[in-house]
Amino acid sequence: MTTTVERAPNDGHPAPWLAPAVLVLAVFYAVPVLDVARLAFSDATLIEPATGFSTQALRAILGNPALPQVLGTTVLFVAVNVLALQVAGLAIALLIVRGERRELPGMAAFRTLVLAAWVVPGIANGLIWQILFDEAPYGTLNSLLGYAGLGPVAWLSDPQMALVSAVIANLWQGTAFSMIVFYAARRGIDPTLYEVADLDGAGPVRTFRSITLPLMRRAIAVNTVLVSVQTLNTFDSILALTGGGPGRATEVLSLFTFNTVFYNLDLAGGSVLALMLFALGMALTLLIGWLNRGEARA
Amino acid sequence: MSAARWGDVATYAALALLGAFFALPFAWLISLALRTPAEVYRGAARFIPESPTLDNFATILSDPAFLIYLWNGLKLSASGGALAVALAIPAAYAASRIDFRGRQAVLVGLLAVQMISPLVILLPLYRWMNTLGLLNQHISVIAVYGALGMPLAVWLLKVAFDAIPVELEEAAAIDGASRPRILARITLPLARSGIASAFILAMVMNWSQFLIPFILLERDADWPISVAIFNFAGSVSASTTQLLAAACLIAVLPAVVIFILLQRMIVSALISGAVKG
Repeated sequence: MTTTVERAPNDGHPAPWLAPAVLVLAVFYAVPVLDVARLAFSDATLIEPATGFSTQALRAILGNPALPQVLGTTVLFVAVNVLALQVAGLAIALLIVRGERRELPGMAAFRTLVLAAWVVPGIANGLIWQILFDEAPYGTLNSLLGYAGLGPVAWLSDPQMALVSAVIANLWQGTAFSMIVFYAARRGIDPTLYEVADLDGAGPVRTFRSITLPLMRRAIAVNTVLVSVQTLNTFDSILALTGGGPGRATEVLSLFTFNTVFYNLDLAGGSVLALMLFALGMALTLLIGWLNRGEARA
Repeated sequence: MSAARWGDVATYAALALLGAFFALPFAWLISLALRTPAEVYRGAARFIPESPTLDNFATILSDPAFLIYLWNGLKLSASGGALAVALAIPAAYAASRIDFRGRQAVLVGLLAVQMISPLVILLPLYRWMNTLGLLNQHISVIAVYGALGMPLAVWLLKVAFDAIPVELEEAAAIDGASRPRILARITLPLARSGIASAFILAMVMNWSQFLIPFILLERDADWPISVAIFNFAGSVSASTTQLLAAACLIAVLPAVVIFILLQRMIVSALISGAVKG
């Protein structure tokens, strides 16, 4: 922060440089969020403007018998995905790092395959898995299971199975993100630690528990939050896969919000739900800050 | 065989299992898209079609509306990505080169807004766009894409600018060049691979976007491919699964191909971003 008489390379006013970004943050994020809060306490519909303050929408949403089920589904969907995505992402990252260290061929190709699933649009992801989960005898997974003498499985028509299917589809697409984060974190660990462990005769399990896991703790903590928020906000793949059904079996909070606003045209109610989404997302984000703070002191 | 060799075998076994999971949807989609309607009903027995046909692709691509959807998708993603990068460059440059109070707060703020679901901000934006008469105009979607893509672009570009030695800029400053001139003449050209990564990544994310064009564009002819295939899926039946498969492949392919071709560059940008972040 010290400015010398000579022209320091770091001086200059940041304001003009930051103006475009700050303007965008204000117009497209800050003001809309405030407006959502205002709408939540109004009687606005998608077409009709608000006429005054009202807590009717709030009471209607909180009293909606579907809400507990939607929140339950959301928590379950997010929790299972966060666990599964990270276990898969960590396993793949460690396998690729090991493969690269041993100079095994094919590691780049495998990484490319996982990343390819990542860039598939969410809607296409839902449609592709809908085809794979087709319950007819000629459906992909059921005809494959038929060869093994198993099944058929009611992938999408059974409420509990439908949620499992939605998790599988999300896992296929989302694993790449955790893989990249964990790959970067694992590559950042000093290799000499592993050499020392090897000299000490530590086995792979011991090495994983005593070196890899502790040193990747921060990456795992931050990634947990990022993946939670991403999963919380995901709804296009579920919309295309099950539409939230059967019944409300796969209707997560973001999809419920979407349906409330754009199918029921209940803007005030949707704003209440959007506020919930926002609050959950921000609470998780604050958690990142808190986790990073702990790390800075350690 | 040594323990390490056994480890290699185990590595390949695990990767083969995971690889089957990740490859199956692509493989099956290709298989379906190449089948005749009769073969669709044969399930796994015709994984490799007996008489592969390109008719499904021909049917989809001969529909002029489909080409318009692809063009709309490309136009919206590219313009949105370019806008995001353009908005991000000054802020990323300031974050990289200028010492100012609150720099960390700006960077954390940019990270935090990425946690906001587009669904939340789209509710007011829909109403504003309606008031401004911008509904059903591509410009409204491009503007939202620019805003959604900007935060990640700032992070990626800051990392790219950090990697450029400041001495190069100091030399130019001594010669009397102004900061904007230094940025345009020295920093941006040197950061071009970072800029390209940020642009491609924003573009690929825009290509995947469904919600924003679905809500802001009501006319069929304005839709990008992501919205169009959702609509198309509602109209297909079991007898036209092969057409849906072909349509999905066409929708997915541009993003996957671009990403695979440029993945070395993009992934290294993401990894350096992940390490710093």
